Amino acid sequence: MNGWTAAGTALLLCGVAPAACATATGPVSRRVPAQNLTTTLLSLVFLLLAQGFGRTAYVDTALVLSVLGPAGTLLYVRLLADRLAARPPRPRSLLATTALNYVAVPAVVVPLCFATGPGRALVKLLVIGGLLVLGSRTASRAVTAAVTAGHGLAGSAEGMSDG
Amino acid sequence: MSMRLRLWVLAAGVLGTATLFVLACAELPGFGGTWHPYGDRAVHAALARHTANTIASVNFDQRALDTLGEESILFGSVLGTLVLLRQTRDERRLPPEPARVAPPVRRYALIALPVTLLIGLYVVAHGQLSPGGGFQGGVVVATSLHLLYIAIDYRALERIRPVGLYEVADAAGEAGYLLIGAAALLTGAAFLTNFLPYGTFNTLSSGGTVPLLNAAIGVEVAAGIVVLLARFLDQAVEIVSGRDEAEDET
Amino acid sequence: MAENVPVLIGLVLVAVAGTGAVLVRDPVRQSFVLSLLGLALAALFLLLQAPDVALSQLAVGSALTPLMVLLSVRKVRRKARSERREEHE
Repeated sequence: MNGWTAAGTALLLCGVAPAACATATGPVSRRVPAQNLTTTLLSLVFLLLAQGFGRTAYVDTALVLSVLGPAGTLLYVRLLADRLAARPPRPRSLLATTALNYVAVPAVVVPLCFATGPGRALVKLLVIGGLLVLGSRTASRAVTAAVTAGHGLAGSAEGMSDG
Repeated sequence: MSMRLRLWVLAAGVLGTATLFVLACAELPGFGGTWHPYGDRAVHAALARHTANTIASVNFDQRALDTLGEESILFGSVLGTLVLLRQTRDERRLPPEPARVAPPVRRYALIALPVTLLIGLYVVAHGQLSPGGGFQGGVVVATSLHLLYIAIDYRALERIRPVGLYEVADAAGEAGYLLIGAAALLTGAAFLTNFLPYGTFNTLSSGGTVPLLNAAIGVEVAAGIVVLLARFLDQAVEIVSGRDEAEDET
Repeated sequence: MAENVPVLIGLVLVAVAGTGAVLVRDPVRQSFVLSLLGLALAALFLLLQAPDVALSQLAVGSALTPLMVLLSVRKVRRKARSERREEHE
């Protein structure tokens, strides 16, 4: 086991596991941002493990998760909009989750970039980092938008998400 | 059959399975050892056929018949779901209502859709070189199209999704796999033999029939999932049973 | 021993997520736990250096399964709502 694998395992245990706990419990308003955080952190774990195992091909798993993770979050926002609007998340905790995303991505991707050196692999890493940041930004925007739209339609929230 | 008899039958089955399972486990080599009789032979065969990803070589060359079975299971289950979720005589369709979408979410969907589609196609095309292949890439491609429903609304998705065409593509993917397998018969080899030239190792065109079979699976899986989700979406968004009044939608 | 710690962590995550998915009864909450189970399985597969299976699991588990579960929930709810209304009339 080398440093990269150890770092990946540590992030899995201390980052992904708590985020997953937050996704599995509590109101929908907490689960949705936590789900986004879980997928972001897990992508980073995959990147670290790929580096640790010395297999650049494993990076593809992180690439796929970096687009499917936000898709999953948007899907929850879309289909559970009424529940999100009924019990909106506190703006501060939503902001904190997004900030955690923003901090974690460069904290992992930048050292990996230095370890990789210039080339195609570096471009792939940067694309994954960009997709992760863009995805978490959109996820928090979508949650906020769902809450505001729900308040605008107070009373008929049940029917609004049938489109 | 009485409850008691059923329990006896269950107990006999559980006991038999448990005995066989324990016997099988006792003979297993230890976890993480260095002795891999099957692995070594599979890697050797994969390299002999210029396929960099041994898993792809096992799935689409050495044991291609098993994959045909798996593909047919998916094809059959999509077909079964289609029959179950069809629009019956006492059901009717209501046009979906446009949803209000936040501009940043719409922008993200319009950027993410081509990116996800490209990643899906990349995973299909590189199946013989790196992890991935027709199934994984096909699912990603199908998911990318549904970003239109997830981030915009159902009408946006319906505009780019003529279900009939996808049904044809689903069947064509399944048929393509069979035809590539049957083409080997023309050369005098067995069904699903890798009969094409193996190409240069570690390039996109290497592996003989492996990339072709991967592409057939990719088409089948992507189209199959689009058709499957189309039925789910129709039921969840458009179809109401005849007794339901239009007020349900207000 | 230290070599096997990552795999052990992965196994524990899968066991916890799997048990949770069985114990949670509400389908909406279950869809969250199910997607977590998919992610945990993908992590375990990658730790065992099986990226092909990890990719399959990710592709199916992260967006497709929750979408199908939630669409079914929506259909059932709609039906239940209209039947309730019928009883009131």
